[in-house]
Amino acid sequence: MSGDPELPETEAVAAEHALGVLDMQARAAAEARMAADPAFAALVAAWRVRLAPLAGEIAPASAPAGLWGRIERGLPANDNAMLTRRLRFWQGVSGAAMALAAACLAIAVLAVNQPPTVIRPQPGVLLNASLQGDGAPMFVAAYDPDRKALIITSLARPGADPVHVHELWLIPADGKPRSLGLVEPGASHRMPMAESLAPMVEAGAALAVSIEPPGGSTKDGPSGPVAAKGILTKI
Amino acid sequence: MSPDAGRGSFAVDVGTERPLAADDPLVEMLTRIAAGDRGALKRLYDATSAKLFGVCLRILSRRDEAEDVLQEVYLTIWRRADRYETARASPMAWLATIARNRAIDRLRARGPLAYAAPVEDVIAPDPAPLASALMEQSQDTAALHRCLDELDARTADVIRTAFFEGVTYEALADRLNTPLGTVKSWIRRGLLKLRGCLEP
Repeated sequence: MSGDPELPETEAVAAEHALGVLDMQARAAAEARMAADPAFAALVAAWRVRLAPLAGEIAPASAPAGLWGRIERGLPANDNAMLTRRLRFWQGVSGAAMALAAACLAIAVLAVNQPPTVIRPQPGVLLNASLQGDGAPMFVAAYDPDRKALIITSLARPGADPVHVHELWLIPADGKPRSLGLVEPGASHRMPMAESLAPMVEAGAALAVSIEPPGGSTKDGPSGPVAAKGILTKI
Repeated sequence: MSPDAGRGSFAVDVGTERPLAADDPLVEMLTRIAAGDRGALKRLYDATSAKLFGVCLRILSRRDEAEDVLQEVYLTIWRRADRYETARASPMAWLATIARNRAIDRLRARGPLAYAAPVEDVIAPDPAPLASALMEQSQDTAALHRCLDELDARTADVIRTAFFEGVTYEALADRLNTPLGTVKSWIRRGLLKLRGCLEP
């Protein structure tokens, strides 16, 4: 053994887990550690990002024709989505999420094993919006009528403006902006809609993002400039 | 903080730096999927299933198992689309990571020495790969290849094999007829060099 430097043990295990060389037991231990230790989970996530470009070398292969039908039949209804509201972080791709995914799959398996059921109709209308700023999309949003929640994905680069925050507004038919909360650059958020606001989320209503001081606008409406805006339309 | 100061800062934000993944249709699909849009999941499936099936097949080499895992992958995406964050990775990299993880989980269930057979005979050519489904040939990709090239050939080879086949240290050692500790040392040192090269 030479005196070559080695990765610190914790990061070495994180890198090995991301690479995928751990055996079943060590892999399970790494998953459990990711669930309990955010710093370790972040190391695994960073290694997954480093190695991910290699997947670009893998040749595509046509999936069998019937597979989409199997997937569609396995889709659980939206209303057991309570499970998915916990834990953010994409490093959870298999970490803490493993248990979650197992639960989801259990539900999926249940769904598959049950006699064919009629998929109940959506109770509300799916809406989406692209919020443009300077001619380019800066935020993408979609409204989930089942869960009465707005999903917003920020395309803004983190760290570009550390002294301001992005605040999301709903501007319904009456023209008065209602704050929906802050949106982190480069992140995705699921914003539950208050009972009073949900009926205002309809096609034609606008979504806008304003630039605000840390903590958001202190006024009853945006205090800073509007950086991006879009109209909700039916999907 | 005055509104004008805010405008100035944001102008820098959008003016000199392209928004993340702004022209990648997969971002909008994932956002819609998170809102419960089954049509968006179908479009994502059409755009990405060949790529993700390729990933599953590469690791599992058996079509039946790869199909089962691919089904699990899209159910996972349906559930977890709201966890995707543009700041962390391209949508395709995120999706491929999910597929690879699921496939490795399945491979592990076969036992510690399991590894893939040659895949040439099980992969059907993809008739129409969509541009949006191709892994972006980004600066990240170029950097990773350059840094792998800087490793000695044996180390680069063993890291690539581990990535593409999802095999354990034990299986690698068995295949290379080399002590497990030696293989582990190659990989760990290789990964350290890789990190140093990627983040000087």
